[in-house]
Amino acid sequence: MSKPTPSFPASGPRPGENTWTWLLKIVTGPLLLLILILHFTVNHYLGSMSSGLMTYDDVIKYFQNPVIVAIEILFLVTVVTHSLLGFHGILLDMHPPRALLVISTWLHVVIGISAVVYGIWLALTIASLGS
Amino acid sequence: MDSTRNQPSARRFWSWFIPLRRDIGSWAFALNRATAIGLTIYLFLHLIILGKLAQGPGAYDQFLALTENPLIKFGEWLVVAAAILHGLNGIRVVLTSFGVGVTRQKQLFFGFMAIAVVVILIFTARMY
Repeated sequence: MSKPTPSFPASGPRPGENTWTWLLKIVTGPLLLLILILHFTVNHYLGSMSSGLMTYDDVIKYFQNPVIVAIEILFLVTVVTHSLLGFHGILLDMHPPRALLVISTWLHVVIGISAVVYGIWLALTIASLGS
Repeated sequence: MDSTRNQPSARRFWSWFIPLRRDIGSWAFALNRATAIGLTIYLFLHLIILGKLAQGPGAYDQFLALTENPLIKFGEWLVVAAAILHGLNGIRVVLTSFGVGVTRQKQLFFGFMAIAVVVILIFTARMY
């Protein structure tokens, strides 16, 4: 069996990290990278001035396509999930006391759900402004 | 076994940012964590700022005018650079998590970081 490269931390769930949430963090990474490239290209290289969605009207027009709204919502869910799971992992590196870890886990869940609900509301509101 | 391994340690957290006596794996780890924290902060600021769209064209376009400020532009550059570094370093983590290149992490890291530098330079040239 081949040995890992010395000095590089072993990849895998850290102590106290759920295997499924670790896997979700790993899988959302490449997905996020793909959607981010799309999001960045559209937001910065399309639009009325060919320099991106640089005006309010550009953004409203862009959100009139339901496929775009769906992609933006997928992006939102993926990025919030990946970032909060990653942030939770960083907290685990500090080996916090169990009670603090439980509170922090629930705080992450509440922040994540709130951010997704707010983001979906915002995307739908922006889409409705053009109609 | 080290009995202090699972003890709370804020010192261990801050040690990521101390560039002394580090090997390359440790740099890769610290880079991933530092960019992750920065990008997470940016994500939530970005979501809050996008709320200006719901307030109408005046509020949003007024905010966009701020993006011409050199300091804000530099902040944008930092965010994009961090995203490129985190994304490419993250591909190495994903690959090795699934058993690909586990014995070649150093080469993978340098390879992805070389790509990151090229992409950041291209972005910088386009931005300025």
